[in-house]
Amino acid sequence: MAPKAPQSAGRSPAPSPDSDRDDAELTRLIAACATRDSRALRQLYDRTASQLLACMMRILKRRALAEEALQDVFVSIWQRAGQFEIRRGRPRAWLMSIARYRAIDVLRSERAELYREAEIEQLPQLVTEGAMDWAGAGRSAAALARCFELLSADQRRGIELAFVEGASHADIARVTRQPLGTVKSWIRRGLASLRQCLER
Amino acid sequence: MKHDDPKLIDALAAEYVLGTLRGRARRRFERWRREWHVERRVQAWEDRLSGLALRLTPMRPSPHVWSQIEKRIGAQPTASSGTRTRPARPSRWRALAASIAILAVLAGGFATWRLMQAPDFLPLVTIVGEGATAPAWEIHGDASLRHLRAVAGAGATAQAGRSYELWALPDSGAAPVSLGLMPVTGQIDRELTEAQAAALQASSRVAVSLEPEGGSPTGAPTGPVLFVAERARV
Repeated sequence: MAPKAPQSAGRSPAPSPDSDRDDAELTRLIAACATRDSRALRQLYDRTASQLLACMMRILKRRALAEEALQDVFVSIWQRAGQFEIRRGRPRAWLMSIARYRAIDVLRSERAELYREAEIEQLPQLVTEGAMDWAGAGRSAAALARCFELLSADQRRGIELAFVEGASHADIARVTRQPLGTVKSWIRRGLASLRQCLER
Repeated sequence: MKHDDPKLIDALAAEYVLGTLRGRARRRFERWRREWHVERRVQAWEDRLSGLALRLTPMRPSPHVWSQIEKRIGAQPTASSGTRTRPARPSRWRALAASIAILAVLAGGFATWRLMQAPDFLPLVTIVGEGATAPAWEIHGDASLRHLRAVAGAGATAQAGRSYELWALPDSGAAPVSLGLMPVTGQIDRELTEAQAAALQASSRVAVSLEPEGGSPTGAPTGPVLFVAERARV
């Protein structure tokens, strides 16, 4: 299914001093979207669309499909901006989640048409070894990278295939040539360990 | 499905966020997210895992993507500056986003209101539904925020078997605090408890959710959040 195995998380990147400021700015822009300020949506787009598209491309594998879904994402952000206020949390995580869930929904309906080799070659790559600071994700990303390293290689692979590639349990079982039950338990245990480590 | 087993909820939330919860189970869980205790766990997992995908090399979208978005939200082309846009036109996303219409309107015309109101009530916030022409509610409070007055406008529509509940959203990110039910006609004056008043003072935003008749059974929003609005400082 996945043409290339995603690389592992690498060492913890340095926390970005800008990540808090980035969060504050994104939070401000989302709040402005809730008051129907379309210029704020444009600024939000300028700051995040390339990142969201990269994430949707990895799941959907085709640019036209990913770009159409990206439109849906920004229309949805526009309509749901007020909801962010009630949940708070990290703005990039919120935006990323809207994008990922949309991509997964599209994946469901378009699965048969996916995975054409020519386009798969141009997928965005995972950046490793702190070449990029996980794009402003800052301290929480550093903690995630550290905890991710503590998982077994199988758990890491399963979680990364699911999160980054949009792979289902069955996809992961196929790629790794493992029984479905084994894959499910890698993921379940991997998530539990990750949570335990991040809460320490 | 057992609705109150925290371990089960957390495991489902994790697989939902990861994306391995699929098909009917995913749809069912999506509906379940409207409950606050479920949504909180989803959010925690989103915050935990999002770094995994933030490491992808960015990919610039084609120029037509933005122009399509602009068209769909009914915005003026962004080259022109200054004006606020009209609310979004109906679209298929409108239907998907269910009843989540949000429009925060800061109470304007402060001075005018001051003259019209009883001296101890000041306007806190006016809530207008998306696309609506009349406000759903105007909420006023006294300087201590111990007394609230909620006035239903023409935009407030009764829903059989449901109540509208007002919430303070503490700036600290703490859980919303109920400020009581909202009228669908006329007005309600209410004295807040000390805890409610303190929560309101610590909140620059309020929300209205749609709850079972009589209000949320859990003390936290359980129904869809219809409005979030910034309140004026008094």
